[in-house]
Amino acid sequence: MSDTVLIAVFGAPHGVRGEMRLKSFTADPADFDAYGPLRDARGRAFEILAKRPVKGDLFVVRVKGVDDRTGAEALTNVELRVPRAALPPAEDGEFYHADLIGLAAVDEAGGEVGEVVDVLNYGAGDILEIAPAGGGETILLPFNDDFAPTVDLAGRRIVVRT
Amino acid sequence: MSRSIWKGPFVDGYLLKKAEASRGSGRSEVVKIWSRRSTILPQFVGVTFGVYNGHKHVPVTVTEDMIGHRFGEFSPTRTFHGHAADKKAKK
Repeated sequence: MSDTVLIAVFGAPHGVRGEMRLKSFTADPADFDAYGPLRDARGRAFEILAKRPVKGDLFVVRVKGVDDRTGAEALTNVELRVPRAALPPAEDGEFYHADLIGLAAVDEAGGEVGEVVDVLNYGAGDILEIAPAGGGETILLPFNDDFAPTVDLAGRRIVVRT
Repeated sequence: MSRSIWKGPFVDGYLLKKAEASRGSGRSEVVKIWSRRSTILPQFVGVTFGVYNGHKHVPVTVTEDMIGHRFGEFSPTRTFHGHAADKKAKK
């Protein structure tokens, strides 16, 4: 499990007063600043002073300490993260994608199947994408009790029926 | 223009047989299908199909809300991998 979670990324500058675009990756795009200060990979914290939606998951934001276009340009493509611990606890039967990605997939006998590399949803339920231990094409499995009966986050493994 | 009602929904015949066999077996399995054009019928509810997208069989667990849609709608042919962020999966 990663210690931090990627929440958003700064985009191009917007105007000459230090505003810039921001692309949000959260389930509700407006929630990108709901989990405390956003930090980049170097640990710099960014405080969002104002935000306004543009379209979909795009916003125009004003950041504390950035007052001109040059300052905004310097932040283009900077990834914004929050500590995993800042996310509220998931409800029963719910799991953060960030927690599932990286789990070791094992069969019911304990044999190694692979590793969870992504969680997908195309409108017909959540799907686990598992990279096989022996390499090759990834496996897609529905994330439900029939195909993934046990999720052991503490043990960093998930039991799957392939 | 929508499809004439007198024709009824289109379904490839082999799907009905496969779905029935899957229900009869009682085992949880992904029923691999290639027919993206077939309409989802009420008798498919509860069955998990693996709908081919030209690359892989994408698992589609049929629920009541999906009746009347086509299988292909739930198995995109161009895959977009987003970011995990605060998204949750539900069992």
